[in-house]
This record gives sequence, structure tokens and C-alpha cells, in this order.
Amino acid sequence: MTTKLKFTAEPVDWVAWLDTLDLADATPEQIAVLEESTPTAKTSPYYLLLVQDVDVLRERSKLYNAIMYGPRGLPRAERELGAVATSRVNGCVYCASVHVQRFIQLTKQPELMQRLLDEGVDTPLEPRYRAIVDYAVKLTRTPNTITKADLEPLRQIGLTDAEILDLAQAVAMFAWANRLMQTLGEPALPTK
Amino acid sequence: MAHTATSSPETTANDVINTLAGIAPDSALAAIRALRPDVVRHTQGSYDALLAPAEPVGLTLAERAKVALRVARLEGNATLADHYRHQLTQLGVHGETIAGVEQFPAGPTLEPRVAAILHHVDRLTNEPGSATQAHLAALQAHGLCVREIVTLSQLIAFLSYQVRLLVTVTALGEENP
Repeated sequence: MTTKLKFTAEPVDWVAWLDTLDLADATPEQIAVLEESTPTAKTSPYYLLLVQDVDVLRERSKLYNAIMYGPRGLPRAERELGAVATSRVNGCVYCASVHVQRFIQLTKQPELMQRLLDEGVDTPLEPRYRAIVDYAVKLTRTPNTITKADLEPLRQIGLTDAEILDLAQAVAMFAWANRLMQTLGEPALPTK
Repeated sequence: MAHTATSSPETTANDVINTLAGIAPDSALAAIRALRPDVVRHTQGSYDALLAPAEPVGLTLAERAKVALRVARLEGNATLADHYRHQLTQLGVHGETIAGVEQFPAGPTLEPRVAAILHHVDRLTNEPGSATQAHLAALQAHGLCVREIVTLSQLIAFLSYQVRLLVTVTALGEENP
């Protein structure tokens, strides 16, 4: 095992701990699912590992894309904020790096993201982001304690029930994504 | 178990999240969920692919339901635990084995392969950041191939998703009866 990387807003690679599929051996069905998962899937060790259970990856990729990229509803940047907060709590360095970069692309707020990485989820935030991160953290750490009272701060910043659901789905999706990334491989510094 | 590949997103009768959250198909909250039909469809599709595949490869249906019951217990969600306990009973799994899953690693002894799987379940659910390559080697030593480890990992991680979605939908349902 290599030394654990620190949280970073720089791009990092991911190395699989198990044998990935050789693209030359892929079935037409596996190729199709890789192509609809994400543009880089055919060269990604993560997707070339997951595609070995093709039925599950097909469903998961369609779900992921609907949750993170679906139109309208909670602004995409705030779904990314939910993903970053979840990844920070779970300790997923790879996911945090990717989704910090997405948030910065969408909002141009690199300082905010750097503080979230360096100081953690308790770093000072404006009220709207504070409410979003607080819900993400509680849902990540102790889902068994969630009640309707936990939705109140989200309503106070103006989220509709549909937007609350969008946030919860992003956080839940990263409960899923973090666990795959953290337990089937590890982040690595990019080879230049 | 119904196969959902052809079901429409508007069909909520077989939707596990709505059923467990007590959401009626014609309710306001079901309509809010249906604003993202692909999320509803592929949440259920993921459930079907992981917990009710027509032709399970690698992990048996009973092994999958044992994993699910274990995650539900670790997350402290009684509704989900009841759901998967019922599934195990329907699959003909004995009460003593079910108790072994719920009380793991105390309680009635389980077969070594299932015990190895449940150790992995506990780690990934409670402390995913503590996993190492050696833990995957331990699974391989119990006969799990790469594909089976992929399926198992997807299953455990999906259940972390499912419980978080369920508690939020349930909380929203308290104000959208």
C-alpha cells in the first residue's frame, strides 16, 4: 500500500486493486455500457473494473447521470457541494478532487473549496451552503437520526421538496460512489 | 419479483422506496419523485439488478439478502431490516442463520464464506476509509472471484445509497401525506 494522499483540488489518478477488463475482451454489451457511462470510461480502471458486472453498472451509470446532471431542480453546483461534503466526511480523496473541480468550474469559488478540503465541513460557509452541507453531513454520518425537523433549515433557505430530494439523492449517490472508490482501489498522484 | 426493464417511470406500484416510505402512487410526494423519472427508474433498476436478478451470477439471492439485512441493521433502519428479513424468510433461510446475520459476529455461527462477506459489509458500511487491498485478498481466499467482489461491493454501496434516500423520502412524507 502506498502512503495515503491528502485532500487536494489537483487532479489525482485512481488505481484498481483487482484485475480490470481488457477492452479487447469486452462484449458488445460491455462496450455499450461503458460508452453510455462517461466519455472516458473505456480508459478508466474504475469503469473497466465495474463493467465486469455489466447489468449493475448499466443501472448505476444511468442513475448517477440522472442525479448529477438532470435538468432543473437544485442547481448543479449545489449537487456537487453535496458530493464534496459527503466525500470529505467519508475520506474519499479521489471523489473530493473530482467534485471540487466541478464545483469550481461551475461557481469560480476555489478558495471556498480549498478551505473545505483543508479545514473540513465545519469551515465557515454562507447560510445557504451551510444548510446544504449540514444536511449532507448528517445524512452521511447518521441516516438513522434524520427526521422532518432536519428538513427545516433547507426550507428556510428556500429549497422546495423537489430540491431537497435532489440534494439527498446526490449525497446518497456519493455514499455509494465513495465506498466503491475507497474499497476497490486507491488514489494516486498522476504520472506525468 | 417483477422485472422492471419495461416498466414505465409512472408505475410506482412496485417501487421499493415508495412502498417502504409508505408513499401512495397518487400522492404529492410520488409526483415530486416522478419529476426525475430516470432516478426513480434506475433506483429500482439497481435494486432489481443487485437483489432480484433473474439469473443471479456469483452471489446467491440469499447471500445478497443477507448482505442487505446486515447493512440495514448497521444503519439502524428497522423498516429496511424488516424488508430484507422477510426476503430471507421467503428464500427459505432458517431463523438461526438470520439471527447470525443480525448479531454478527456474535450470535449463531455462519458458514465461513458468509462470515468473510459480512466482515467486508461491516467495514464498507461503517468505515470505508479503512479498507485495504488485503481485505480483497481475504475475500479471494474464500473463493470470491473479481466479478463477485465487484458485485458485492456494488451491493454494499447501493445499500448505503438506499437507506439515505429512504430516510429522506420518509421525512418528506411526514409533511406530504
